[in-house]
Amino acid sequence: MNYLYFLYIEFLTKHNVPQIIGDITFYCIPITIIFIVLLLVVLALVLAERKLLGWFTQRKGPNRVGFWGILQTLADALKLLCKENITPSSADRFLFNLAPILMFTPALVVLGLIPYSSEFMFVNFQTNVLIYIIFAGFPILSILIGGWASNNKYSLFGGMRNVSQVLAYELPIAFSLLGVITLASSMNLGKITLAQSTQYGVLGWFWMPCIIGFIVMFISILAELNRCPFDLPEAESELICGYNTEYSGMRFALFYLGEYSLLFANALFLSVLFLGGYLSPFGKYISTVFFGGQIGEILLYFEQVFWLILKSFFIIFVVIWIRAVFPRMASFDLLKFSWAFLLPISILNLLLMVLLKYFMGGVYA
Amino acid sequence: MLKGIKGLIVSMLTVFKHLFKNSVTLEYPEKKIILSNNFRGMPIVEGCIKCGTCIKVCPSGAIKIESDNFNINMEKCIFCGNCAYYCPKNCIKMSDNYELASSDKNDLSLNFDISKKGEE
Repeated sequence: MNYLYFLYIEFLTKHNVPQIIGDITFYCIPITIIFIVLLLVVLALVLAERKLLGWFTQRKGPNRVGFWGILQTLADALKLLCKENITPSSADRFLFNLAPILMFTPALVVLGLIPYSSEFMFVNFQTNVLIYIIFAGFPILSILIGGWASNNKYSLFGGMRNVSQVLAYELPIAFSLLGVITLASSMNLGKITLAQSTQYGVLGWFWMPCIIGFIVMFISILAELNRCPFDLPEAESELICGYNTEYSGMRFALFYLGEYSLLFANALFLSVLFLGGYLSPFGKYISTVFFGGQIGEILLYFEQVFWLILKSFFIIFVVIWIRAVFPRMASFDLLKFSWAFLLPISILNLLLMVLLKYFMGGVYA
Repeated sequence: MLKGIKGLIVSMLTVFKHLFKNSVTLEYPEKKIILSNNFRGMPIVEGCIKCGTCIKVCPSGAIKIESDNFNINMEKCIFCGNCAYYCPKNCIKMSDNYELASSDKNDLSLNFDISKKGEE
């Protein structure tokens, strides 16, 4: 993000602020932006999910609080904030309080790894993808801790189910990810995005050559996020609310927040890997066509963010759509589906990708 | 397996069509349901001749007639419409009013003044 950095420093030196303060505060800005945007997006996502589920089932969804029900999630959040935090007397006090925090923090780390535009790359390691996968696996730990520390059989069942489910679905994710890494010859998310800018436009994005990997990864991410039809850890009819049965008030809200922010992060991750990240679907950026000069250059970065967010919202829409359609799977079917079907298919996909890279490697330079 | 995939796609498209349909939800206090002609709501009495048929046919015993007062106990009334059906002068009518919830028990005892007799 060199360009914006120099712009910021230049702005500060104009107002006689020493450069060292600019160096320190520059990294506070993206964190603040991420945090505020994340909270807003989660509020919007909860509302969007309830509205869309309503429309899919020919209901209206929330429509009473504020115009068109817009303030509904705000009211819910306010209610959760005002509620009492109850710790069960037989629970492990320390772990019980630790679990919701561990659920939410990885989501923040993970969001920093994603290249929002060619300049907004907050944490830019060479092996971004690997770090993403490691941190995206953290919430499972917190769910297990929460389930175990609640000292409640339903919570424990929920936590254990989640662990077995994620163990089964991590491997297909890893193999389909390897396919993408092979095509892009890089483990950096920014370079993976740039590798998708070919002469074929939309068809050059990795969803086209790697369509099996895309579908496998989409299904596995649904399972990792405990979304329908893989929401066994929270199966209401069997486990009350699964791992967060004993949680109330702000801690429950943190679980909720963590779940939705991970949904958003994973949707961003998928769209970076397969849907071309911040690349424009038209091949040319709109802002460079309409605005020239410096304004156009700055607007370009925001346009790239817009495209990325749009793609991630499309994926979230499909996730909600799937929730409205499919019933919950049985526990045994779930594991069998992964080990016996998704894993072999994803390995096959990796082989195909290696062959594709060998014979048509020139396309993805 | 292909059959299964086809089933998945068909079910997803079926649900997708619902996005463009009107919702079946009625926003109750603002919009009200359209009632049929035979709807049986709160009974209304006008021009009673004090024959007492309604007292006999009422299955829950909700009707009481005193000298000038026709009393219906809405706590007991089951809206069967028997009184309206058997009334020789058709002076009991089942109205459209179904919003009878109240926080006061006295509101549930309906009194009609029947000091004026029916014509004839």
